[in-house]
Amino acid sequence: MRVGIACPYSWDVPGGVQAHVRDLADHLIALGHEVSVLTPVDDPDEADLPPYVVPAGRAVPVPYNGSVARLVFGPLSLARARRWVREGEFDVLHVHEPTVPSVSMLACFAASGPMVATFHTATARSRALQVFGTALQPVLEKVTGRIAVSPEARRVVVEHLGGDAVLIPNGVDVARFDGASPLPGRPAGPTVVFLGRLDEGRKGLAVLLEALPELVRLEPEVRLLVAGPGDAGDVRAAVPRSLRDRVELLGRVSDADKPRVFASGQVYCAPNTHGESFGIVLVEAMATGTPVVASDLAAFRRVLQDGRAGVLVPVRDPGALARALGDLLHDRARRASLATAARSAVEAYDWRTVTAQVVAVYETVTAAVAPAVHVEVDADLEVLAALLDDGDEEDDAGRLVTTLRRWIAERPRRERVP
Amino acid sequence: MITGIVVGLGVLALSVLYVTWTAGRLDRLHARVDAAWAALDAALVRRAAAARAVAAALPAGPEAAALEHAARVTLDVGPHGREALENDLSRALRGALPVLPPDADLTELEQASTRVGLARSFHNAAVRNTRVVRLRRLPRALHLAGHRELPQYFEIDDTTVPH
Repeated sequence: MRVGIACPYSWDVPGGVQAHVRDLADHLIALGHEVSVLTPVDDPDEADLPPYVVPAGRAVPVPYNGSVARLVFGPLSLARARRWVREGEFDVLHVHEPTVPSVSMLACFAASGPMVATFHTATARSRALQVFGTALQPVLEKVTGRIAVSPEARRVVVEHLGGDAVLIPNGVDVARFDGASPLPGRPAGPTVVFLGRLDEGRKGLAVLLEALPELVRLEPEVRLLVAGPGDAGDVRAAVPRSLRDRVELLGRVSDADKPRVFASGQVYCAPNTHGESFGIVLVEAMATGTPVVASDLAAFRRVLQDGRAGVLVPVRDPGALARALGDLLHDRARRASLATAARSAVEAYDWRTVTAQVVAVYETVTAAVAPAVHVEVDADLEVLAALLDDGDEEDDAGRLVTTLRRWIAERPRRERVP
Repeated sequence: MITGIVVGLGVLALSVLYVTWTAGRLDRLHARVDAAWAALDAALVRRAAAARAVAAALPAGPEAAALEHAARVTLDVGPHGREALENDLSRALRGALPVLPPDADLTELEQASTRVGLARSFHNAAVRNTRVVRLRRLPRALHLAGHRELPQYFEIDDTTVPH
């Protein structure tokens, strides 16, 4: 299948949507599909672009939905999107976040035919939808198949655009995490891992630091391994002087090192306070085989299967967090059983599973316009086989004729499929 | 006076533009409903075929007969009354699961059921978008939808295979 994917945010700026598009494109290509990605690129000379990326121009920083998004919009970009759609001759167009005023919306505007949209944002009030909701409707109603990555994102779709979306979670490359080896040269002893921005309150590092004295009382050898960008000085200041040597700060870690960070701990801790719609970091830790202790938030509860694949603790409760971490560090058997449960829980989020679901969506939306040959013919052949088996000959004749008629009627449409 | 005529003509031209644009939009929406229905129809046929294959693998008994019958009638029925028959098929499938031989291959049935779920969601979203525009006052007053019937939702219980 030829798939055109539109990504609204700058390719060379790190972000969840960009990472999702990159992984999806890689996995689709691995399955033998042809992929082209239209996306803004800030620095086309510097960026190391994969061959399937088509730059849509430099993005302009725009304050959007409470943070700064880098977007492209305007007649020139629309012309680029139009040309990309025309030259791509895609079987299916897959736009990400079409409500963001950028490449995806332009591609949606320019194209017609089988179109899939993935909605990532869980923000209940999208600025664009609030202001342009009614004006956007005619553009968005061209989309034939809608995907939401979380129940929260799905609610946004239902409330603002009308009609449902199918739920397909974010993917994680499980094989990249499974069996990772720990970082070299670290002191031995029980270790709790945290990964996330240090200065972003909702990631909850403050709660974990507050739990540290109690945790040290329960497990005197414990160490904290903290990875993520932010001010290290602020973190040290939040820890009593006597415990400062227990906290190792790694700073920002590369994607390649992430599995090794998870593998360096006996427990991964996600003390987030609010605002999580998915919990991809949890899935990554679980894929590594590191048991998880996480705040009891809706998104985390779902990933941890209500506590069967990890430990849930009350939100913003340092005492409960310290006890849960201490208990788990002392209980090797429990850690092993949680790791086993977690490994089977993350299968649903493996990119192989997720890509198969996305391809099923592509096949469903293209079945309508240009029917997916193998699928329907297979189904018909099975009907025929079952008919010839069941011995009821009078009935068979009628059904056989009906099936053959439908085949003949649909034949020209099928042959248009390359 | 002249200004009045110019403004009047301008308003008229704009309303004509708006009406043609809405008619085109409705046309596109109906095409989307048609396409979504074709996909849903194909998915339902595929599910019925998979159900017959499962029925053939069952040990002879009331469950096998019920499943075979339910699958066959859904293949024969037109769009009217189809929801009830598809529900019967879902129920027959659930009834058949306990008597399945342990080595039965459910892959095709699972895939077919997933696609029914997808196609149904996309179909109903298309129907919803179309109805919103059609039921507005202007398209109704001007009969912008022509002789097209108001598209109907397709509601069935399609949870057959436990995952």
